[in-house]
Amino acid sequence: MLTPILHRKRKAAEAAAQAIKAAGGTIEQTRRVYGTRLLIRGLLWASIYLLSRGLLELTIPSSAARVAIALLPTPFFVYYLWTWMKGVSEMDELERRIELEALGFAFPAAIVFLMTIGLLDLAITLNPDDWSLHHVWLMMPLFYYAGLWRAKKRYQ
Amino acid sequence: MKNRLKVLRAERDWSQEELARQLGVSRQTINAIETEKYDPSLPLALKMGRLFQLCVEKIFELDEKKP
Repeated sequence: MLTPILHRKRKAAEAAAQAIKAAGGTIEQTRRVYGTRLLIRGLLWASIYLLSRGLLELTIPSSAARVAIALLPTPFFVYYLWTWMKGVSEMDELERRIELEALGFAFPAAIVFLMTIGLLDLAITLNPDDWSLHHVWLMMPLFYYAGLWRAKKRYQ
Repeated sequence: MKNRLKVLRAERDWSQEELARQLGVSRQTINAIETEKYDPSLPLALKMGRLFQLCVEKIFELDEKKP
C-alpha cells in the first residue's frame, strides 16, 4: 500500500525538478528548493524529537508505550535523511565533493570523540547526566557542520 | 591544473553565472575552477570544450610543478 504512495511522491519530486530545469532554472534554484524542504523536514523531526524527549521525562508506566514514544522520531529522521540524499543527487560535482569532504571529516572525528569519551569513562567514570548517549549524539551533527564549513572554505 | 577558463569566458563576455547555467553547475563551481582550487571532472571538462569549441588541452594544462 505504501509503495504506490512513495512511487507517486517520487514521480512528483522528479516532475518538480524537471519543471525547474525546463523553466531555465539554475542549480542554485534547485538548491533553494531542496534547502527549504530540508529545513521544514528538519524542523518537523526536531519538534517530534523534543516532544518524545518531553514525554519520556514524564512517568509513563507502560514500557511498550515508552518504546513507542522513543521510536516516534525515527521515521521523521529517515524522511529528513531521504530529503537530504535527494538534495545531494541534485547537486553539482563540487557540491557533492564538499559533502563528501564534510562527511570524511565528521566520521573520523566522531570515532575519535567516542573513543576518547569511552576511555575517559573507564578512567574516571564520567557523569552520565552530561556524557550519556542522550546528549553525546548531538556532537555528530556538529562534526558534520564543522566539516562542511572547512570544505566550503577550501573551495571559496 | 592550470586553465584558461577566465580568459575564454571574458572573450565571450559571459558572467560566471551565465557560464554556470550553460554548463549546468553552480557559480561557485566555476569560481573554484577559475581560481584553480578545484579540477573539474572529465565530463565537465569535455562539456567546456564543446561549449568553447576547443579541445580540452586548449583549456586545461597540467601543472608540472605539482605532483
